[in-house]
Amino acid sequence: MSEQSVRASRLPRIPAVPLAIGIGILIGGLLVLASGGDPVAAYRAILVGALAPSNWPNTLNWAVPLVGMTLVAALPLRGGMVNLGGDGQLVIGGLVAALAALYLPLPGPLLIAAAILCAMIASGLYASLAAWGETRFGIPMLISTLLLSYPAIGIASYLVGFPLRDLTTGLAQTRMIPEAARLPVIAGPLNIGLILMVVVAAAVVFFDRRTVAGYELRMRGQNAKFAGYGGVRLASQQVRVMFASGAIAGLVGAILVLGSLYRYQDGALLTPGYTWSGLMAALLAGGAPLGAIAAGLFFAGLQTGGFAMQRETEIPRVLTMVLQAVIILFLAIRHGVGRKSS
Amino acid sequence: MTIELEATGIVKRYGPLLANDHVDLSVLRGEVHAVMGENGAGKSTLMSILYGMQAPDAGRIVLRGTEMHYRSALDAIGAGMGMVHQAFKLFNSLTVWENVVYGMEPARGVFIDRRAAAAKVAALAERYRLQVEPNAVVGKLSVGVRQRVEILKALYRDARVLILDEPTAVLTPQERDGLFDIIRHLTADDRTILFVTHKLHEVMAITDRVTVLRDGKVVDRMVTSETSPREIIRAMTGRAVNLTVEKGAAKPGAVVLQARGLTVAADGGKPVVDHVDLSIRAGEIVGIAGVAGNGQTELIEALTGLRIPDGGSVAIHGVDVTGVDVERHRDAGLAYIPEDRATTGTALTASAADNLAMGFQRKPPLAKGRLLDGAAVTAHAKKLIARFGVKIGSEQLPVGTLSGGNLQKVVVARELSHAAQLLIAEQPTRGVDVGAIEFIHGQLVAERDRGGAVLLVSAELTEILALSDRVLVMFDGRILAELPVAEADEETLGLLMAGRVGEAHLKDGTEAA
Amino acid sequence: MSLMSFITPSLVNSAVQSITPILLAALAGTLCGRVGVFNMAMEGQLLVGAFAAVVGSYATGSALGGVLFAIVFTVLFSLILAYGATVFKGDAVVICIGMNLLASGLTAYLLRQMFGVSGTFSDPAIVGLSKIRIDAINTIPWIGWIFSRQTVITWLAWILTAAVTIMMFRTPVGLRMRGVGEDASAAGTMGVDVLRYRVLTVLFAGGLTGLGGAQLSLGTVSIFSEDMSAGRGWIAVVAVMLGRNHPLWAALACVLFGVADALSVRLQSQGLPNQLTDVVPYVVTLLALALSHRKRLKRRAAETLTAHA
Repeated sequence: MSEQSVRASRLPRIPAVPLAIGIGILIGGLLVLASGGDPVAAYRAILVGALAPSNWPNTLNWAVPLVGMTLVAALPLRGGMVNLGGDGQLVIGGLVAALAALYLPLPGPLLIAAAILCAMIASGLYASLAAWGETRFGIPMLISTLLLSYPAIGIASYLVGFPLRDLTTGLAQTRMIPEAARLPVIAGPLNIGLILMVVVAAAVVFFDRRTVAGYELRMRGQNAKFAGYGGVRLASQQVRVMFASGAIAGLVGAILVLGSLYRYQDGALLTPGYTWSGLMAALLAGGAPLGAIAAGLFFAGLQTGGFAMQRETEIPRVLTMVLQAVIILFLAIRHGVGRKSS
Repeated sequence: MTIELEATGIVKRYGPLLANDHVDLSVLRGEVHAVMGENGAGKSTLMSILYGMQAPDAGRIVLRGTEMHYRSALDAIGAGMGMVHQAFKLFNSLTVWENVVYGMEPARGVFIDRRAAAAKVAALAERYRLQVEPNAVVGKLSVGVRQRVEILKALYRDARVLILDEPTAVLTPQERDGLFDIIRHLTADDRTILFVTHKLHEVMAITDRVTVLRDGKVVDRMVTSETSPREIIRAMTGRAVNLTVEKGAAKPGAVVLQARGLTVAADGGKPVVDHVDLSIRAGEIVGIAGVAGNGQTELIEALTGLRIPDGGSVAIHGVDVTGVDVERHRDAGLAYIPEDRATTGTALTASAADNLAMGFQRKPPLAKGRLLDGAAVTAHAKKLIARFGVKIGSEQLPVGTLSGGNLQKVVVARELSHAAQLLIAEQPTRGVDVGAIEFIHGQLVAERDRGGAVLLVSAELTEILALSDRVLVMFDGRILAELPVAEADEETLGLLMAGRVGEAHLKDGTEAA
Repeated sequence: MSLMSFITPSLVNSAVQSITPILLAALAGTLCGRVGVFNMAMEGQLLVGAFAAVVGSYATGSALGGVLFAIVFTVLFSLILAYGATVFKGDAVVICIGMNLLASGLTAYLLRQMFGVSGTFSDPAIVGLSKIRIDAINTIPWIGWIFSRQTVITWLAWILTAAVTIMMFRTPVGLRMRGVGEDASAAGTMGVDVLRYRVLTVLFAGGLTGLGGAQLSLGTVSIFSEDMSAGRGWIAVVAVMLGRNHPLWAALACVLFGVADALSVRLQSQGLPNQLTDVVPYVVTLLALALSHRKRLKRRAAETLTAHA
């Protein structure tokens, strides 16, 4: 800390995150330039695409799952743990929500609530499996969360490809869920999933700042040994935090299925890459919830802007993924952003 | 006698701290030269400069008449310097000979000449009477043997000047005497020893001359045979220190901590903690003496809930806490000052307020149900900082910048403010300055007088003897003996710590287990 | 159905082929692990290698050109980890996550910009690696099938496994590497330049993974498709964990994975849907991880502290 401030003092102080974003934009611009594009036009298209008032609903709609997956990553990260299994948890949530909506004999609002709840519980349990594996058997969660995604995705893919497939279409997907199970629309593409996500985000911030458990999680993140010595029950804390993290992923899956896809479609939840963008956003803020939410919103803007850029300049929107990665790498290397906020 | 090593005007600055302030040091060939000073006096900095690990901001180093400009320790090693660090720099998974030849391996083609390496190491060991098996894996050796490996490393590189940094801190008195023999063999071979220590009697026993540092400056140079311990202390501290602790007789009450048959298994082989029975009463301080690595760490982990014991039982204040987690130990009345304040006792990146709240977060006034009362956390921190005199700008600052003594005060403040029935204090004054030592010792005695039961684990015999009412000696995982402090002296404890019960003349009222 | 009819020589041959990228990545991982740099960027490194190999082969018209491109660009890509986790003291886990994402994004971006396609790029101009035919054994049942008709990279991978093992345990460089990984400060005091060892090892490992990437895109198919490393780098990470940074044990773990992979191919040809059979290798890997950690289970509360923190 002090060593760095001594080293940096010769330069005018630029806060780390804006500097990293600047570097990311610079490198991205060079990349565009090198491949024969016009960086200024590209960035203008991104900016307009993300921030023009008429595009707000789209940006917000994209932000709901992305911020959700940001919280999925941020919550364990706050305690120094990494959940790389967001993809699997997301898929389980989406599939369970679709199945509950299709097969539970419940009336409208109850059906929605039940579907969301089932999705959250299923994903939460799946995520806590990795935590249990580490506390009970010492299998590093870093890798087990990731590996557990593959069977989840494979089996979900098989289920909608064969036994649960909607035979009227040519695609691997379930039947459409009944109208009653669909999330009420607020305006345009926005549905009450947005409100649910705002509530969850607020709850996570409140948890982090005001609760005893939030304090204990923060302390674990700063020094797990210290927390254990101070009486924090590390094993059960780990399982609980991973359950919560997975449950949020399940909620995101449910919101996507009940709110915009209206069915579970093979691959549809994963193609946008919410999990990894969310992880990047959480890392950007070192797991601090408010910062992570802000970073998630920023990435959501970047990505919706990316669509506009691709439409208008024919520069592929994966450029935004490169930008995200460069920002994280710069912060990790230059400012030690990571699991410990040292 | 010729001058072997001379350093003049050494200056080293870390930010605002002047660690070495124009230090001059002159060492004669073949002598044992003590460098003394309290923690933070600048000894370590000076040694790391002499050994090429750090470059001085100013000053000259002249070795055997040649001015040296080290770019790294490698240059210093090449010039004939050797160093045995306080924390050994050994690779535990490698063998003795691999450790010794590391970085300077005899090769045959592209391969290491293993036979030649082992033979060379064996020959060196033979010559300087360092008993060690070249093919043994270092991790399985005792501390004393590991130290010999360190010395072999330096000799293998033909070190003419050997720096020994606090070499006796981890040794039994008997091992220490063995080391002194080795030192005599080395000086007889015209090798020079720089002996860094803060232990007076060792300086008196083995060294020829003494250089004393204080606050980064050389404050005195003496010839050992012409000085006295009192004089050295005065030079080190700038005042005469009273090393004994004022305390009245203990008034032991009810049993607070009771362990029966406590056992911690090792990965195969004999247990690390082997059927330990102990009971600590209210109003007494019980010291556990022992050479590091004889099961003290594991015993404390088993007593505090950090480790689930493989056998036996633990009860705190009548509550059976065998195998339950730390929190339930704390609920039953445990406060615990851990061995390592930086890795266990605190979260360095967290604020003082957060650090001081640990252990209190689940109970009022800090907790309001499941919520944490931020104002109460701050008030709690402010109160403790004031009461224990922690020098910190604000309770919201991270504790990572505090000095060792201040950081330890944070830990001590937090644990004592539990006013728990049982306090376990593990190396409570390691690496803190004299002022903080006096303060912490006073607090421990006050805790006893308040009616608390105190279990003290310390590698410093002087600390054990100064504070304890009863002394337990731990050896090889077992409590080898229990004796009242009046009958414990350094020699008896030293023999017991080496497992030699027969030679330790135990008096009546002393039990050998 | 007997075991012999279940496992055919061609199945073994393809298993040996498919292990190669994982083996090289795992070898890279053990090297990094030995010097104390936790490398879990192999997924991204393989991808960069695979892409660079296709670009090189396409541009130079030779498979060797492709392989050289793969090595050079993966080494360049590895500079991020080599310096980021050492000189700049960044968190290796975060850097690796970032690198994997960068590899995924960058290759997809360049695929579109350079070749104007998304998804998969195939072109007759991409020259694949030729298989080495060893006439002496080619017609021998089993042996011929397994050892002949493999690419030079596959051969190299196994030779390198042996070479790295010998280097690690019999040479001065290997001894120093092991020391650097076990206790960097101790190695430093013995005059070993820790940073240099780490940086060079990570870069060398990058070269190995690049080679693995070339095998991936030029070994059997001569195409590049987005995210074609498809979890192989992660399997390699697990192999490194299972092998505890020992190249031979890690190689054995790779073989285990190869067997599982062959099994899944075989199950698929028995009519099981590929969505299910694709899962087999990962489940086997998870089970292996669970079994290997079972023994090491210590009933110690503090043990649950994050294993790789």
